[in-house]
This record gives sequence, C-alpha cells and structure tokens, in this order.
Amino acid sequence: MDWAGWALFGLLATTGLTALMIAAQLGGLSRLDLPLILGTVVTPDPDRARVAGFFFHLVFGQCFALGYAACFVLLDSATWWIGGLLGLLHGVIALTVLIPMLAGVHPRMASNRSGPESTAVLEPPGLVGLNYGAQTPLVALAAHLAYGVALGALLQVR
Amino acid sequence: MTEPGASSGAVRIDPLIEDYGLLGDTRTAALVDPAGSLDWMCVPRFDGDAIFGRLVGGEHAGHFKLGPAGPVHGVERRYRTDCNTLETTWRTSSGTLTLSEGMVAEVNGQLLPATMLVRRMTAQGGPVEAVLEFDPRLGEAHRRPHVAHRAAGLVCSWGSIAVSLRLTPFVAVQPGLTHVVTVEPGRPLTCVLTVADREPLVQVDPDHAWAVLEQDERRWQRWCRDVDDQMPRRPAVIRSLLTLRLLTYSPSGAPVAAPTTSLPEVVGGVRNWDYRYSWPRDASIGVGAFLGVGKQAEARAFMAWLLSATRLDRPRLPVLLTLHGKHPTAEHELTGWPGYAASTPVRVGNGASGQHQLDGYGWVLDAAWSLTSAGHRLYSETWRTMAGFADRVADHWREPDAGIWEMRSDMAHHVHSKIMAWLALDRALRVAQTHRTSATRLNRWRTERAALREEIGVRGFDAAKVTFTRTYGSSDVDAALLVLPQLGFESADSPRVLGTIDAISRELSAGGPLLYRYPPGNDGLPGREGAFLPCSFWLVSALARSGRVQEGVALFDELLELTGPLGLYAEEMDPETHHQLGNYPQALTHSAVVQAALALRDAGVTD
Repeated sequence: MDWAGWALFGLLATTGLTALMIAAQLGGLSRLDLPLILGTVVTPDPDRARVAGFFFHLVFGQCFALGYAACFVLLDSATWWIGGLLGLLHGVIALTVLIPMLAGVHPRMASNRSGPESTAVLEPPGLVGLNYGAQTPLVALAAHLAYGVALGALLQVR
Repeated sequence: MTEPGASSGAVRIDPLIEDYGLLGDTRTAALVDPAGSLDWMCVPRFDGDAIFGRLVGGEHAGHFKLGPAGPVHGVERRYRTDCNTLETTWRTSSGTLTLSEGMVAEVNGQLLPATMLVRRMTAQGGPVEAVLEFDPRLGEAHRRPHVAHRAAGLVCSWGSIAVSLRLTPFVAVQPGLTHVVTVEPGRPLTCVLTVADREPLVQVDPDHAWAVLEQDERRWQRWCRDVDDQMPRRPAVIRSLLTLRLLTYSPSGAPVAAPTTSLPEVVGGVRNWDYRYSWPRDASIGVGAFLGVGKQAEARAFMAWLLSATRLDRPRLPVLLTLHGKHPTAEHELTGWPGYAASTPVRVGNGASGQHQLDGYGWVLDAAWSLTSAGHRLYSETWRTMAGFADRVADHWREPDAGIWEMRSDMAHHVHSKIMAWLALDRALRVAQTHRTSATRLNRWRTERAALREEIGVRGFDAAKVTFTRTYGSSDVDAALLVLPQLGFESADSPRVLGTIDAISRELSAGGPLLYRYPPGNDGLPGREGAFLPCSFWLVSALARSGRVQEGVALFDELLELTGPLGLYAEEMDPETHHQLGNYPQALTHSAVVQAALALRDAGVTD
C-alpha cells in the first residue's frame, strides 16, 4: 500500500475535483456546490459553510482515495485508465445514491415531499442532480473521472 | 349501492373560471368545478403532465367527478375557516349532499404519499344518489392508464407514474365509466387518491386519510393565527395568503405564478400562456407581502429560491424559471387540445423567458432591502449577488427592454422599467449602508441613480398631462406606474405622482373599479384583453399611500365584491360581464390584494 502517495495524492485529487466543480459553477454549467451542501450541515451562512464544507470534502475525498488505493492493490495494478474507470463508477454512485440520499439526512435540505412547515432552504438534488442544472450529471462524472485518473496515474502498487 | 354505466358523453359547457375551487399541497394543485368535477391536476408537481386535464384539454383529457346524480336546486361553496379544505353543498329533492375535499400538504416524516387528495361526500336529510366518474389520462396524448384492480383498490399506471384510488365503503370503480352510488346520512363516502412518481405507491386507508387531512386543516389554521386581527378585510387577506402559500412549491421555495396553462385572457382568443413557472418579480413581491404580515420564514424562503435559482445566469436576472431554477422548455402548442371554451392554442413552455426586462432587478433589490429593514442581515453571498444585479442595472439601464407586460413586439424605453432600475440602485445603496461595499462601486451607483432620475424626469414625464408616461416620448400611461407612491422615487403626495394616479384612473379605466394595464389594442395581438386585476389593487395601495385613504377603502371593497364566494382571483376580468379571465388563481393578483390591505393598514385602516 502506497501510504505516502495516498496521503499526498488523495489530497491533490480531491482538491482538483473540487476545483473542477467550482469551475463548472462559475462557468454556469451546474449549481451543484458540494462544499456548500456539506458545510450547511453545520452552519446556514453560505460563506462559512463553503469553508467548512471544503474541509469535509477533503476528508471524504481522502477516505475515497483509500478505497481506490485498496482497489489498485487488489488488482495489482495502478494505471490512469483503471483509475478513470473507478472514477466513473464513483461518479455514478455519487449521483444516483450519495447525493440523492442527502435529502433524507441533511437538516437544511428540502425533499420532494417538503411541505409548508419545512424550514429547509436547500433544494433537493433530484434524479442524478438534475435539479441543479441539466449538465450536472456530466459535470459530476467528468470531475470524478479526473479524480480517478489522477489517482490511477499517481498512486503506486507496493 | 353502485351502478356503473357508460360515460354520459354529453356536450359539456365549460364552467366559469371563477367557479373553480383550488385544492393544493404546495407541490401540485387541482381545480374543482361547482359540479364536483376535478378538471385540472398535474403530477408529480405543478409543471408536470396533467392526469386530469379537461379544463383545457377537452372531454378525453381526464377528470374525476363526485357530485349529485339528479337535479340540483342550489349549490353553495366555501372554504372551511382559515384552511384550504373546500366544501361544496348541493340541495337536491332527496336531501343535501356535501363534498368536502383537500390535499394533504404536510407529509414529511410520515409514511404518506407526496400527493394525496382526499374527498368525502356526506348526506343530510335523506339518502342522496351521487355520481362517481374517475377517468385519469396522462399528458398531451391523453394516454389511458394500465389498470389493475387490487385488494387495496384501483391502481392506474403509466410507466413510472402510478395513481391509486381507494374508497370507503368499497366501490368497484372502472376508469371512464359513470358509477351511481347512494350516500346515506351518517355513512359518508370517502375517497383517497394517491400518486407515486418513480417510487412505490403508498396505500392509505380512506378514513385515515381523512384524519390526516383534518390534522392538516388545523396546521393551516395555526398558520393563519399569526396574521394581525386588525388587518383590513382580514378574511380576504387570509384567503390570498393561503393561496399564495399553496402556490409556493415547498421543495424549492419557488412561487408558481398560477397552477394552470392557457386559461384565456380573451375567451375564444389566442392569448393563452403557460404560467406554471416562477417569475423572480413575483417572488420579490411575495417577500414584501409575507414580511408585511409577519411571515418571516416564507419571505426568506422566496429569497433563498431567488438566490439559488438565478445562480447559473448571474448577474443577469432571468425573466422566469422552472420550479427548480432551470430555463423553461421551448414554447409549443398541444396538438388536439381544444382549450378552455374553444380558446386555442393550449401552450406549454413560455416564450417570454428570453426577454430582457429591466424592472425585475428593481423588485429583487427592493425585496432584499425589505428583508434588511426587517432586521435580517444578508449573507455575504446574497449581498454579492444583489450588488452584481445593481452593477448590471448600472451597465444596461440605457438600453430598451420588453417591460413588465412582456409584449412580444419591439423593445422600448419603458418608463416603469427605468423607475424600477432607479429603485434597484437606490435599494442597493441603502443596503450597502450596512454591508461592505467598495467606494468605487457606491459612487458608480450614485452617479447612475442620479442620471436615471434626471432622464426619467425629462423623457418619461408629460408636463402637459402631468403624468409619467408609458414609454419615452409617448402620451400613453401605464398602470404599472401605480407602484410609484411606494418606491420613494418622489414623495407619494407630489403633484407628479398624484397626476400620474389620476391619469391612469382616467385613461385606463375599464369601468367600475377595474383598470386596463395599458391602452387596449396596443399589444399587437388579436382581441381585446380584459382588465388587469393586480393593477386595480395597486391603485388601492397608491390611493392609500398618497393620502386618499377613503377612496382606497371604497375601491378595495368594490374589488373584493367582484370575486366569487371562494375569494380567488385570476389575472384579468372581463369589464362587462365581470367574469374572470386568464390563468387561475394568480399569485400576482393575490400578492396585490395583500399589498393593498397592508397599505390601508399602514394608513390607519382597521377591519
């Protein structure tokens, strides 16, 4: 297991993924804002939430990188394309399972069942995040693909 | 008890628009006519496909009727006090039949479907024969469902959408057929319709559903208690607030302009538009209306939606958006839909979405200022967004725009738009007093605000008629200018403001308390549209804020008498017949009702 690589490149790949998502927002492609979504679990202020959410995202990214590293060890190979495939799988799971599930646990996220007493103000992501813009699935998949490619190319099997 | 027969198929005369009652759960809505026929309901949300579309889709577009089978000697309709449960009572020769119905709004945290409609018929004075017709059809092609009779009831499905109907006592319902049932005193017939979209159906026992609806009624009644007892014409204001809340899509906080598409502005005409979208302007006006009655959470929810929905377009403010902040699909006409009272085409989508309308920025920044004035500090991101809007106004106010009335003809320099641009910069400067802003930016806003005031005074004012005009250099007036007294652009009792109010009252009068929004026949579309109801309520506000309070009270009372017993308003009214026109019920009109009452309250009027 490449522990040093995991520590460094996990951080690097997650930062890259976050940067891509932010760039997509700034470019008007998607309203999916993972640092905001994660950070509003602890604070309603969007600016503070983004700071907190960014660190949460780094931690989660590091955990996922551990999974990637374990997969590379099991496969006895770490290449950019294996990383890319894992990244795509990761993106699909994030879009279809992880992000939609947030509506059930996030204290400030509404769901499609929200009614008049709901004080949640973050809209639910909807099917594969489509409520955040039609290009959200593509943006999320591309970002996760880049994350996987980076890990596949940079991690080593030891 | 039940006797199915072929569907009558008789030619049906469309009920009047104002005869429809609204049911809703803040996610979707339904319209029910005085005969008990539910003729409009989209699933799974306001802008989904209609499963009951007879309102504009014709006999084969689906309906769900519960009502008396025989002749009726009289019908009365009302909402139960301070809630959204609708009651229709028919007097028949054998007894009285009452249909009580509503949709359950609060389902969070319970194993209940997101869409649950409950309808109960009760008889008094003797058994009454009633008809039940259940004919759900989906979408543009009026698709018939796949039908399954299960132990728990009837299930109709179309791919990922399924609808379940259960009744107590049991009736073997066949979609598309007319069933005659006898309702005995003390033995109500209760139906529950549940909808599932891409999830399992949740079957609910009808009696339990009725109990849940009664809980929901109590929630609405608690919600209404916050409204000041001294509010002028409180029952009408309560109905407007409840309607506004029903037209707010809870999952995103988006205000829906109206739950319908293509109810005509001219019966038999082509002015038929899809209003199942959200206009940032309406959200901003709603912020003021809800804040004015102390509903802080609703006001903040509108602002949150504005912030989220406009994210991809900033600093441009889109004219309208879908409930989740996307751009509407291209406008198209539904093939084979005959329209309400033969008013075609029936459209979905909205072509106004691509327009440049300057006034929207003013409304939005005014809403931000209202929130700030009410003690809410804007988050840094909210303020950055608002400041971006102000910058855009400073950059673009010299360009012509489409104006508030969204005419699809040429752009023009609308005076109302310029005044709202002034408002945007003025409110930005006011908010900036408590939020960090660079000196360069502030100076720019001040300079442009002053330039706007000067230009409007020179090019947008007709000194001979003593009125602000509709466009630069024109002699027409525009009822949108009735918002002048509440903006602070000029003193509310200044000769120029009073002159404008008088000119609008005189030149745009549609008879009685009604006003046209602009001189009729001036919009390039065939047919003459009706009086525009929000403008009449804006006139009430204008009179109240400019010191002519008694005139305002008299006008308000006259307007309130023009609606039916349910207190709902469409966008327009025929000046001769006083029948309502256009999509229904209309959030902008109900916001204007609340604004008028608030203006009267601020002028010292009590109920």
